[in-house]
Amino acid sequence: MSTVDMKMDPRWKRLLSGGSGAIWIATIALFAASPLVASGSLSEAAVLGMLPFAAVLAIAAIGQTLVVQQRGLDLSVPGMLAFGAALVSGLPQWYGWAPELAIAAAIVLPAIAGLINGVIITRFGVMPLVVTLGMNVILLGTVFAISSGTPAGSPAVLAQFAKGKLGLVPNAVIVAVVVIGVAGFIAHRSIVGRRLTAIGVSERAATALGIRVTLYQTMAYALAGAAYGVASILYTGYVTTPPLFFGDSYLLPTVAAVVLGGTALTGGRAALVSTGVAALFLTQLGQLLRAVGWPEPLQLVAQASVLLAVVLLRELVPSIARAVAERRRLAVAS
Amino acid sequence: MSSPTSPLTAAIALLPEDEIVPGSSALALTGITRTFPGVTALADVGLDVRAGEVHALVGENGAGKSTLMAVASGALAPDIGEVVIGGRRLTSASPDEARGLGLAIVRQDPALLPDLTVAENLAIGVGQTRRGGLKRAPRWAQEHLDPWQMGIDARSRVSDLSVEQRFVVEIAKALALKPRVLVLDEPTEHLNNDEVQRLFRRVRELTAAQAAVVYISHRIPEVKEIADRITVLRDGRVRGTFEADDVSESQIIELVVGRALDTVFPPKSAEAGSLREEERLAVRGLSGRHFHDISLSVKSGEIIGIAGVQGNGQEELIRALAGIEPATGAMEIGGRPVKLGSHVAAAKAGAVYVPSDRHGEGVFLPLTVGENIVMKTLRRVSRGGIISDRAIEEVSREQIARQAIKTPSDRTAISSLSGGNQQKVVLARTLLAEPRVLLAEEPTQGVDAGARVDIYTILRGAADDGAAVVILSSDGVELEGLCDRVVIMSRGHIVAELEGDAVTEAEIARAALTSTTMRTREDATPRASRLRSWLRGDHSPAAVLGLVALLLAAFVGLNNPAYFSPFSLGNILFAASMLIFIGSAQQVVVMGSGFDLSVGPLLSLLVVIASFHVVEGGSILVGLVLMVIAALAVGFVNGFLITRFSLNPIVVTLAIALGLQGTLFLIRSTPGGIITSDVTSVIFTKIGFVPVITLVAIAVALGLEWALRRTRWGVELRAVGSRRDAALRLGINANRVTLVSYVVTSLLVMPTAVILMSQIGIGDGRPGLSFTLSSVTVLVLAGASIFGGRGSFIGIIVAAILVAQILGVPTFLGLSGAWGYWLPGVITVGAAVLYAQLRRIRKS
Repeated sequence: MSTVDMKMDPRWKRLLSGGSGAIWIATIALFAASPLVASGSLSEAAVLGMLPFAAVLAIAAIGQTLVVQQRGLDLSVPGMLAFGAALVSGLPQWYGWAPELAIAAAIVLPAIAGLINGVIITRFGVMPLVVTLGMNVILLGTVFAISSGTPAGSPAVLAQFAKGKLGLVPNAVIVAVVVIGVAGFIAHRSIVGRRLTAIGVSERAATALGIRVTLYQTMAYALAGAAYGVASILYTGYVTTPPLFFGDSYLLPTVAAVVLGGTALTGGRAALVSTGVAALFLTQLGQLLRAVGWPEPLQLVAQASVLLAVVLLRELVPSIARAVAERRRLAVAS
Repeated sequence: MSSPTSPLTAAIALLPEDEIVPGSSALALTGITRTFPGVTALADVGLDVRAGEVHALVGENGAGKSTLMAVASGALAPDIGEVVIGGRRLTSASPDEARGLGLAIVRQDPALLPDLTVAENLAIGVGQTRRGGLKRAPRWAQEHLDPWQMGIDARSRVSDLSVEQRFVVEIAKALALKPRVLVLDEPTEHLNNDEVQRLFRRVRELTAAQAAVVYISHRIPEVKEIADRITVLRDGRVRGTFEADDVSESQIIELVVGRALDTVFPPKSAEAGSLREEERLAVRGLSGRHFHDISLSVKSGEIIGIAGVQGNGQEELIRALAGIEPATGAMEIGGRPVKLGSHVAAAKAGAVYVPSDRHGEGVFLPLTVGENIVMKTLRRVSRGGIISDRAIEEVSREQIARQAIKTPSDRTAISSLSGGNQQKVVLARTLLAEPRVLLAEEPTQGVDAGARVDIYTILRGAADDGAAVVILSSDGVELEGLCDRVVIMSRGHIVAELEGDAVTEAEIARAALTSTTMRTREDATPRASRLRSWLRGDHSPAAVLGLVALLLAAFVGLNNPAYFSPFSLGNILFAASMLIFIGSAQQVVVMGSGFDLSVGPLLSLLVVIASFHVVEGGSILVGLVLMVIAALAVGFVNGFLITRFSLNPIVVTLAIALGLQGTLFLIRSTPGGIITSDVTSVIFTKIGFVPVITLVAIAVALGLEWALRRTRWGVELRAVGSRRDAALRLGINANRVTLVSYVVTSLLVMPTAVILMSQIGIGDGRPGLSFTLSSVTVLVLAGASIFGGRGSFIGIIVAAILVAQILGVPTFLGLSGAWGYWLPGVITVGAAVLYAQLRRIRKS
């Protein structure tokens, strides 16, 4: 594995096998091709309609990236998003909370749910998959209980903000850029971020260094919860009355965005900014397919195919490179 | 191993003993060269082992002995060179082929499957996994184990055995093959004197029957006792082959070491006068796993070595000092007490640990050299928590220069460095942290000679700077050259301490080996009581769950007597039938260490497919055939992607799950297609209040349980789930086993779909989707190890009934709809936590 790194042209390798550059190029290409495939798919109205959804997906995918970095996979995304939305819309409507308080609750309570995920996973050593799958239905049940089965509407202030624009830029996009910017800065430039990377690469090596492994991992799950909360608030504000279980359609896209962004499912380095770009890519792809007239269910098939294709490519390119290097090594030896 | 007769038993049957000519070549290696990036592990090595002889292979750690035997046994392909076993050439690097030619190898790391029984392990090892073979296996295995008098029960699980017992199982397995060439890699590390003598008797029996034995060891006296000829290997080259009687122990050692000691090691503290008065590390009455009542004191500037035969508690002790292993007693660093069992507390007090498992624990392989160097001292390269890349560069470049690390740049991935340079990076990181106590485990393992010298200098330098250094090493020469003082451990106690001029390799070896002879073995795992061994077994969760189910029924029944009506009981059992099938489906993949998130959507898809054909006026047969085809296809695609491209099963089945979901709504966006009563009436048949379909489900689960224990399919599935690498070494086609497990899983979704469509009566894709969670809930409740290899379908039956019961509870108690979500969620997570705790308790 080692010689490959040196022998293959690093730019190509990074592009194809795990680096985050590919998604930028793919996104630019997609936008360039959009008007050719469906005229009007790059019109101002179309782009402005798409961007807030890209922002929601990007923020949720940031949460998923944090979990994947710790070698987990968060299947509680649907429950978390539904939970946040039920809190921010239901608390003011059914329980008379002030909108600001409800917004705070919709960030803090999903973060606590994430914290619980993290504690059960790290302290009790339960597989992340099982914990997050269970947490998902627990949250859906809670959504059911909060709303008594009826979706509530977004507080007017929030709706106004989420639909608003600063100049040409939708507020939702600004929120997403800030979240991604802060997350990316922490991940790449701070001690906390470097330690999270170290733990994601090797828990055992991090333990040998005396890093507080369980604390950091638990924190990653809690931060992921907070990210889902923010995403659900934006979504609620933008669509005004989100269906109770709207989060169901977000699970696969968050995973796809992580993988497309270049974060390895085996943990380690988190490519947070690229995850955000991948969210934009996926949303625009959906928009384009819709413009061409693909029915909604076919979108799922398309997303699944993109995910599988990228995972396959990431696996195949290094193994082909390995085979080439091995042949070269043998040629040198004899 | 697809043919009815396993290739290896067949091959051995072809080699009658009288065919072997005494003294003929049993194993011939010629011109073997093998390089790894940056290292030549073997250079033009030749070895000729004759039938009927014991041929010893001696050399230091890293001399190439194990690499050579990996080549001989087909585990590793040489770059150049040829392997001939019993006169026949090994055509490809295949362990199977080598075994077929009659070569058996016992490695230091036994290829045993921890979750399987000893008998199953032996049966797989000799290729007798067909039905009759497995049934007879316990008795046959016991016969092979009894001569060793190790108290091994063939029916017990390998994970419940002690290290010594496992090793004996591994040897017994190799001997059961009646090999033509037997390779023993450090076979006596874990054996006491009696056991060593028993091993030697067996070895002599083998050679008397004209088999050849390759004996790898670093214990020269033993080698002298058992070997006929000795080959010395150093730095990947043969340094000579001798008749054992022609060479003395000291001659052998000279050849093995091949260097003059005093030129290699830096001066000790006594010469340099660098020993301080301060007692830096003090340990009193420290006890933990595999070590007891250890008291130690290390001064600032002192290097102390921990020696002993491997597996006598040294690793656990040094890890306990680093806070990674739990321990009781007292530890002080620089006069201040340190909390035990906390790696954070130990690190804070200034203890820095250099692990022996460099790839797993020492370095962060995907990260760069620079990042690895500064990872422990991030504060130094940052301000206010914000890191400066420039500072990282400066610090790491300085260290690269100072420790003579050979790397293209500080931004190179550490994975591309040689072992020695990786270790220097670890040490550079350690020194940057200015350790007060430096704990190094096998610091020069797998390091070439040149880098070794540098590492010794670095370690001595750390001591001269005032650190108390503790080194665990299995290399006597290294301990002699480097340490001011050496303690020798045996059976978890310090049995000797050497100081000053007494610190010599010979003295260390003598102390370690004489104490080993005192080593008596209390029967390592006293045969557990029947109750305890049952509790450790696969079936105990089923009984516990059954009890919970009865209690729950009593509670709900007291609150609502209608619960016990035949109608309600029948409903619960009917719902349970689906859960038994879908739970069993999930159990199959999980048993093989996989996971399938697509069972729910597949279930829905099958229901939707049925709703076009299994209707009034449609063809039931066509419908059922299409359902089977769809299930087969999905299972195959899952398995193919996962095995062929080694993709993450969770991601693959998640993508497939959502793809299926899209497909089924494309086919039928709104419910439609009334399922014909021809089918539903059959499915709804009851005997008394018991649905027949539930009985069928139970029968299928019991059949699977039987197949799991008694067929080759079942044993291989558990083998792959238990330890994939070991299964591969044993010649099991792990990829095929995994692929088949996904297909079987999908096929088990088929009956679930037939029941579900009868229940909902219409082609609706939504109800099926939630069954992915249901399958996991049932699985977790059944107590299956989510990491594969263990579990029981009887547990699945009971868990399914319990889950069906729980899902009905909200209705009977008049609870809100939210409970329909909360109960399964809480129970899944709760059961997972409970079983995780139980497993932890069982382990300790």
